[in-house]
Amino acid sequence: MATLLKLAAPSLALAALAGGALAADGDRHQVRIEVDAGHVAAHSDMGSWLDDGLGKLRYSEDDGGLNAGRVFLEYRGRIAPTLSTTIVADYVDDASAGLGLTEAYLEWRPIPASNNQHKVRAGAFYPPLSLENTETGWHSPFSYSYSAIDTWLGEEIRPIGVEWSMRRRLGFAGSPHELRVFAAGFYGNDPAGTLLWWRGWSMHDRQSRLNDELPLTPLPIWNFQGVIVGYREQYVEPFQEIDHEPGAYAGIEWRYARRVLLQLARYDNRADPNAFAAGYWGWHTAFTQVGVQLSLPWELGLLAQWLDGETYWIAGSRPDGTLSPVAALVEDGFESKYLMLSRAVRGNHRFSVRYDDFEIARKEGLPAIVSDEGHAWTFAYRYERSARLSAGLEWLRMESRRDLWRDFYAAPASATEWQLRLQMSYRVGMNTAP
Amino acid sequence: MPTSRAIRPSVQSALCLLTLGMAGGCAAAALDVTVVDEHGAPIELVAVYAVPDKPVASAPAKPTAVMDQKHKAFVPHVLVVQTGTSVDFPNNDTVSHHVYSFSDPKSFELPLYKGDAHPPLVFDKPGIVVLGCNIHDDMLGYIYVVDTPYFATTDDSGKARIAALPAGGYGVRVWTPRARPGDLPPDVTVTLDGADRGVALQIKGKLAAEHDQGGSGLSWQRY
Repeated sequence: MATLLKLAAPSLALAALAGGALAADGDRHQVRIEVDAGHVAAHSDMGSWLDDGLGKLRYSEDDGGLNAGRVFLEYRGRIAPTLSTTIVADYVDDASAGLGLTEAYLEWRPIPASNNQHKVRAGAFYPPLSLENTETGWHSPFSYSYSAIDTWLGEEIRPIGVEWSMRRRLGFAGSPHELRVFAAGFYGNDPAGTLLWWRGWSMHDRQSRLNDELPLTPLPIWNFQGVIVGYREQYVEPFQEIDHEPGAYAGIEWRYARRVLLQLARYDNRADPNAFAAGYWGWHTAFTQVGVQLSLPWELGLLAQWLDGETYWIAGSRPDGTLSPVAALVEDGFESKYLMLSRAVRGNHRFSVRYDDFEIARKEGLPAIVSDEGHAWTFAYRYERSARLSAGLEWLRMESRRDLWRDFYAAPASATEWQLRLQMSYRVGMNTAP
Repeated sequence: MPTSRAIRPSVQSALCLLTLGMAGGCAAAALDVTVVDEHGAPIELVAVYAVPDKPVASAPAKPTAVMDQKHKAFVPHVLVVQTGTSVDFPNNDTVSHHVYSFSDPKSFELPLYKGDAHPPLVFDKPGIVVLGCNIHDDMLGYIYVVDTPYFATTDDSGKARIAALPAGGYGVRVWTPRARPGDLPPDVTVTLDGADRGVALQIKGKLAAEHDQGGSGLSWQRY
């Protein structure tokens, strides 16, 4: 926390100076900086996974009190009228603390010559799958802790490649029907699924940086009688390229004015589940996602995402060909869905409530083991004091059942974790509204 | 929301006003048009225009029209102009816009700018010009170019007044981006003889949602 605040002050000063220097150039260079900090009260019997605990949330009793969630800087630069670059740098003080990039990409939007509007992105970026995370720095305007789905997308899914997208108005000139399609090929993301499987579904706002090394729950070491005799620390760098084969995603989206949005997408990292490089295994992870966004009467907004996928990890052999003592071949299905209702009151107050449901379970035909099963409620209030300052309160309660806790770590198989966050965000912007 | 804009009297009408009382048949009248939907509810921002039976002696001085950009929106959402009118596109936002259109009557591009960086453009073909911003996907506007100096746009009570119409026969037409072309009412023929007239028109069929509808505060521009 102290480190983070020490960093925040000079970075704001630096940004102000840089802004002054760049201001002469209009809004060709845009810089936004945000500092998120607050007070946390949390309960988990098992600590936080970020502190090498078994708990699934970002904070536990050990983290009570003042906390800095994130300091980030977003730079947008215009290279040409239709070509721009976006770079987002994050500082966090948990797990592999320090500074790192979350996104860095070039974006080309040619001027449409017809009803088809094309866009191409190249670099490291988020796929357009989250309905919640629409703000600068992939933040959510609704709650501080993202849904289980979007938390995971922020942790392990970050294509490093090229994405093409196109939108098209359907029908007459003023038709409110709009179709969007997107497709991408990418490298990286080969270990995606590792963290999800070992830790289970989580809900927080810590986005993995491209160079992050995240702790996994310790790897049990079995003897020949199948008894756990010890544990070994293990980590994952989620965006590593291991098998040198590209992954892909694609999706289709239909909108009706600003009232209805339906999206269907498929992601497949196409990783070789037997590939091993630089200390990390490939996990073959693929999923289908359906997203729904609706503007309802009484100024209510509804968001829902449903993600259903599977992950494969064959730990049967070591890269040198010897047999691994870990017999736990992973061939699991994972699924999560959430439904959120949100209402903005008088423009700058927002109330949101979200229900998340999640599961990771071994597929049929293999020894039954419930890797994760549970649900969570989130209640959030946010007040936008000004473009610079916002504050809010969030209550999150998650119930999980994991046979893994009992079988691997001799812990209770069920847990209830909760977290109360009182948070403030301060933003400054150069050549842009903050 | 912009309110109804009745056009200024054309030069021809002005000439008529000068000669009023000296010659018959030149008296100017106003045409009040009300546009309602299939349920009888008023529709805002409908282009209403009257096409004279006899060609109008061309009115050379057409004032420059303005399609403003404020709060990342085109203002007005629908602008009606006569063929040959110059339209200015000032950007009154603090962010740059890159305005373009790929529509047949006027395909153009105003590269990245703020303020009044580009000279006005002349819209010399009638029809629908759909406007977009290459930076802000959600910005949408229309310029409807008509072949007559007599036009107006409905206000929030669905009413529009076309002022200073010289006596004669007219075909009254309407257009809104929210209606399918086939749902627009056929021409209504009106003969004016110096007295104000009122016309009510109904657009059949279901109207498309207004572009900016949805007060839920959800974000619709995601990537």
